[in-house]
Amino acid sequence: MEPFDLFSMREAYNRQQIMLCFNGPISRSLIEEIGNALRNYLEADHAHPSAAMDVFAVYIEMTQNIRHYAAQKGWQEQEAAATVVIARDEAGRYVVSAGNMVDAADGAGLLAKVESLAGLDKTQLKAIYKEQLRKPRDGSAATGAGLGLIDIARKASEPLLASMRSLNEDRAFISLRAVI
Amino acid sequence: MSDFSIPRSQSTPAIQGNWSEGVLSMQGDSYPENSYELFHQVFEWVERFLQDAGRPLTLELHLLYLNTSSIKAMMDIFDLLEAAHHAGQPVAVNWHYDKRNERVADLAEEFKEDCTFPFAIVGF
Repeated sequence: MEPFDLFSMREAYNRQQIMLCFNGPISRSLIEEIGNALRNYLEADHAHPSAAMDVFAVYIEMTQNIRHYAAQKGWQEQEAAATVVIARDEAGRYVVSAGNMVDAADGAGLLAKVESLAGLDKTQLKAIYKEQLRKPRDGSAATGAGLGLIDIARKASEPLLASMRSLNEDRAFISLRAVI
Repeated sequence: MSDFSIPRSQSTPAIQGNWSEGVLSMQGDSYPENSYELFHQVFEWVERFLQDAGRPLTLELHLLYLNTSSIKAMMDIFDLLEAAHHAGQPVAVNWHYDKRNERVADLAEEFKEDCTFPFAIVGF
């Protein structure tokens, strides 16, 4: 096995202004611990309390969505893997990205949903958010019932970006990016 | 009936129900993965109070960040209060927030839009 070139990894992280990144199985407590670190970084970065809360909220909704998805699929804890990156862009805005493995058909559905949200302004997003909030829960669903993605779109300062890469016939890797 | 108290955890707020005073209080963040686990007991307490206590109920909220599943759970609780209000029962919500973080006021404001009972958003 070739040794890791930590120096060039560090250079890449610094160049892309990556504050925090994670790759691997993500547990409930790991979401909380990384969230804690994120809050501390944002505070040290002198982020405005409102902006810090938006970044934290988007991080939580993205990672919890990934866990809910894996649970709904009946996947093992080890399969609830996520790739999460929190960075700043050239304009100093916070960018939250998360990716995970999905069934290819579900990935296509998510891409379509992100695309449909992209055409909506803040007032329209609020309207569908409230509509979704009023929908009855399906059975024992403990989740936000589809609210998460709309909530992320509402907190973003530009339309969400989603992309998908096919892994094999059945599975794909989906990435979602929100600029706060 | 009974009082109840749930201590704060990393992702869940501290919650206290005071039956004799008719006050339900919550402080902190709420972003558990399963909000139903946490909130169903709060929901049941409010439901029982509104049925049995025959006294006004006030919610004193010092809540900060809520994930969407907690928002959904809170809306269910506010719906109970709304129904009680329509039935002529005195209910009120006081949502306290730090003025440095207007996101909390925005969140409270969106709940308030759907409520006709007294709902105060109090900055400190």
